[in-house]
Amino acid sequence: MLVFFTRRILLFFPTLLLVSFISFFIIQLQPGSFTDRYLEDPRFSPEAVERLTAQLGLDRPAIEQYGRWVWGIVTRLDFGFSFFANRPVSTMIGERLAWTVVIAVVTLGFAWLVAVPLGIYTALKRNGFTDAVASFVGYVGLAVPDFLVALLLVALVLAYGGTNVGGLFSPRFIGEPWTWAKFVDLLNHLWIPVLAIGTAGIATIMRQMRANLLDVLHADYVRTARAKGVSERNVINRHAVRTAINPLVSMAGLQLPELINGTIIASIVLNLPTIGPLLYDSLLAKDQYVAMTLLLFASLLLMIGNLLADLALAWVDPRIRYG
Amino acid sequence: MHRSRGTTLLALALALALSISSIAVAQTKTVGYPGLGLEPGTPGGTLTLALGDSPPRFFYYGEISQPIQLLSQQMFDSLVEYDLETYDLIPALAESWDVSDDGTVYTFNLRQGVTWHDGEPFTADDVVFTYEQIITNPEARAGDAAQFTYTVDGETRQVTFEALDEHTVRMTLPAPSPVFLLQQRFFIMPKHALLPFSVEGGAEPAEINDAWPTSVSPSTVVGTGPFRLSAYVPGQLVRLERNPDYWKADEAGTPLPYFERLEFLIVQGTEAQTAQFLAGNIDQLNISGAQFPDFKSRELAGAGFSVIESPALFGSPPHLAFNFNAADSDLAELFSNAEFRRAMEFAVDRERVIEDVYNGLAELPGTPTAPVNAAFYEDTTGLFNMYDLSAAAAALDALGLVDTNNNGVRNISASRELEFTLTYGNDSAVFTDIATIIQNDFAEIGVRVNLQGIQASQLLGTGLSGDYEAIVVALGNLPDPELRKPIWQPGGSLYYWHRATQPASPGEAPNFDAMEPWEVRIWEIFDANSTEMDAALRAERYREWQRLNAEYAPVIMIAKPGNVAAVYDTVDNFVYSLGVIPGYNPVPFYFRR
Repeated sequence: MLVFFTRRILLFFPTLLLVSFISFFIIQLQPGSFTDRYLEDPRFSPEAVERLTAQLGLDRPAIEQYGRWVWGIVTRLDFGFSFFANRPVSTMIGERLAWTVVIAVVTLGFAWLVAVPLGIYTALKRNGFTDAVASFVGYVGLAVPDFLVALLLVALVLAYGGTNVGGLFSPRFIGEPWTWAKFVDLLNHLWIPVLAIGTAGIATIMRQMRANLLDVLHADYVRTARAKGVSERNVINRHAVRTAINPLVSMAGLQLPELINGTIIASIVLNLPTIGPLLYDSLLAKDQYVAMTLLLFASLLLMIGNLLADLALAWVDPRIRYG
Repeated sequence: MHRSRGTTLLALALALALSISSIAVAQTKTVGYPGLGLEPGTPGGTLTLALGDSPPRFFYYGEISQPIQLLSQQMFDSLVEYDLETYDLIPALAESWDVSDDGTVYTFNLRQGVTWHDGEPFTADDVVFTYEQIITNPEARAGDAAQFTYTVDGETRQVTFEALDEHTVRMTLPAPSPVFLLQQRFFIMPKHALLPFSVEGGAEPAEINDAWPTSVSPSTVVGTGPFRLSAYVPGQLVRLERNPDYWKADEAGTPLPYFERLEFLIVQGTEAQTAQFLAGNIDQLNISGAQFPDFKSRELAGAGFSVIESPALFGSPPHLAFNFNAADSDLAELFSNAEFRRAMEFAVDRERVIEDVYNGLAELPGTPTAPVNAAFYEDTTGLFNMYDLSAAAAALDALGLVDTNNNGVRNISASRELEFTLTYGNDSAVFTDIATIIQNDFAEIGVRVNLQGIQASQLLGTGLSGDYEAIVVALGNLPDPELRKPIWQPGGSLYYWHRATQPASPGEAPNFDAMEPWEVRIWEIFDANSTEMDAALRAERYREWQRLNAEYAPVIMIAKPGNVAAVYDTVDNFVYSLGVIPGYNPVPFYFRR
C-alpha cells in the first residue's frame, strides 16, 4: 500500500512538469501581448511598452522565462507574480481559495445528496412515472449549460422583485463581521450557484447510480441474498447499493479539479469571488504565471483526486488490493 | 489664467487674516452648478456604484487600470480639474496659477490648509515628489514620463519642478506647450506615505510599482480626495468613507461630499451589472445605446429609475480602417487609394448604425473630433459620402473593379476576387452589429467580407501588429487633439492603418517618404500645434486636419455614441461621468433625496 502510494506521488512530478510545459507554450502561441491592453491609454508610450516588457521579463526568450519560473517553484516554492496585480500568484489564489472551496463543497454535497437517493429510487422503480420525470429533468439539467441555468435563475429572482442576483452577499453585509442576518443573507445568495452548478452534476451522478444499481440488481449474489430470505431492504442497502456506489467514488475524485475550471462561466455570470474568473481573466490577458499556476493547480487536484478515489475505493471495496 | 488684481488683493487679505489668526483653516472652495441643475443637498447615506473588475492595487501610477482610475478619482485630487459644465480648467489643489509670458514657466499657488486623509498637511513637497519621483519615473507603469520630455532642437530636455515655498510650486518647460495645463490633472500623491518606494527614499526605480498593493491596510492609502479607503473585500467590494476635511463645499456652505459612504460593488460583465442595477443593489450604471430600449421600457413601467442621455465629449467613436500596408499586395495597393476608401464610404450606413445599433443615441461623427467639442470641432458631415449603394457601385466601377467572372463578386484581377477579412470585437454587441451591417452592405455592391471576431481589448494591438486587412476600432476622444497625437499624426505610435510611416526606431523622425501629401500636411499641423500658443491659430489648423480626414478618409468614422446612464430617482444631482477621466468628478455633488 505504501509502495503504491509513494509511486503515485512520485509520478506527480513528471506529469506536472509536462502539464506546465505544454500550457506555457500554448499561452505563448496566443496572439498579442500582455501590454496590448494598455495601448489605448494616452499615457502608454512606445517607451513605456519597452520598459514594462523589460520589467516583466518578457523580453527574454520564452524558454528562459519558463525555466526561471520552474526554477522558482522548485527552489523557493515561488509560483511567480501576476503581471497585472504585481503580487505573488500564491497570495492571489489564497485570497479566493476559501470561497472557492466553500462553494464547491456545498455544491458537490448538494448534488450527491440529491442524486444518489434519486438514482437508487429510479433504479428500483424503473420505467415508472417518477423514473421518467427524473430522467427527463436529469437530461435537461445535463444538456443545459450551468451558466444558462444561472442566468435563468437570476432573471427569475429579478422578476419576483428579489435583490439576491449574484455575488454572495448584499452590499451592506460585505466586509462586515458575521451575524445571524449576514448568514441568512449568504444562504439567500448561495442557493442560486448551488442550484445552477449542482444541476448538471445531479444528472450525471443520478444516471450513473441508476445504471450501476440496475446492473447489480441482476447479479447472482443479489439473487442469492434474496433466496436466503434477507429482507428486501437489506438486500438493497447492504448488498446492492454498496457495490453499485463504487464507481461513483472514482467519479468523485475526478470532480476535484472542477472546483477551479468546471464552473468558470457560471462564476462569472453569478459574480462569485472564486478562482474560476481569475483563471479566465489571466488567460485572456496573457497574465502567464497566474494562468500556468492555476492550470498546474487544477492538474494537481485531478491527480490528488484520483489518488484519493483509488484509496477510498480500496477502503469501500474489499475486492480491491494495491500492492 | 492670469489673476485679476482684485482677486490677488483678496487672496492677500485672506492669507493675512489666516496668518494673523494662525489657525490652519482649509481654503474651502464653494462650488455650484446651477446651469447643470444642481441644488444644495443633504448629507448622509450610502451610494453604491459598480466596479467592472477587482482593482489590481490602489496605487494610481502602478497600473493602467479602469478600477484604479475609478477609485483614485474619489480618493485623490489634481492641481486643476474640469468645470463639470463647460469643461474649462478650474482650480483644484492649485488655488491659482500664473504663466510666464513666453509660456514656459508655470507657478502654481497651492490651496492652504488641505490635509491628507491621515491628518498630515498637504504641501508643495508632495506636488514636487509626485511629479519628480512618480509621474516622470519611466519605470512607473502608469506614469507619464513622455509627457514631460521635450525635444528642442534635436535635444531631449525635461520639465523641472521646484517647491518655492510650502505652498508654491514652479514648473519650467523647455518649450511652450499649449496643453500643459490641461495635462496637470495628475493625481497628487502623499510624499510621507510613498517616500520609501521612491528613488529619493532609496528604492530602485521600478519599486515604485510595489506601493499600495490590495493587501495593504486601508488607512495607509491616503489622498486628499472627497472619500478615503475604508475596506476592501477581494472580488466583492471596495468601501470608501467620506473625508470629513474635504476642501469643497456647496453654495449653501455645506461641506462636500454629501454621501457618508461610497461603495463600489465589484461586478464583472454587462449582464451581471444590469442584473445588480435592476435589483436595486447599484444606484447608477452607465449603459450603452444598445441597452437603451430595455432600460427605457422598465423606466416607463415605473421601475423607479431614469435613463439619462447627453451628447458625449469623451468616449470612443468607432471607425472602419483599411490596412494601407496589408500583407496582400493587391489589397494594400487598393486600401492605400483614397478613391477606393471614399467609394467604400458610400456603403457604410451610418444612419442605420445610429438608429439600429445605438437606438438613436448617437450622432454623425466628427473626423474625429467630437461634435460637442466647441473649441475644435469642424462640421465635416457635408463632405461625407453618405449611404448610397448605387454611388458606391459606380465609384468601384470607375476604379475598374468589376465582376469579370460573373460570380457576384467584383474582381481586382482576373484571378483575384475583391474579398478581404474584417476584424472586429466579438465580445461587444455594438461592434458585432456594426461589422454585420458593413458585411451585408458591402456584399450588396459585390465586395466580399469575411468577418473575424477577436476580443475588443485586442483590437488596437492587432491593428498595431499589422496582422489584419480591415478592422473596426473605437478610439477615444479627448478635449484637445494634441492629447491624441500618437493616434492621429501620421507616423505616430498608434497610427496603425499606415504603419509604413513609422520612424525607423522610436523617437526618430517619421518616414516621410511613405506619406501621401495630405499625410505630410497633417503631420505638419500636429507638429506646429504642439508648441503653438495662439488658440485661434491652433483651432484653425485642427479644423483643416478634420477636413483632410473627411476628404481622404484615412479611416471612415462611423458614429459618435452619446452618454447614456440609468440612475435611481432617489439619487439627486446626477451628472453623467465616465468616471475614468481625471479631474471630471461629479460624485461629491450626488445626494440621497
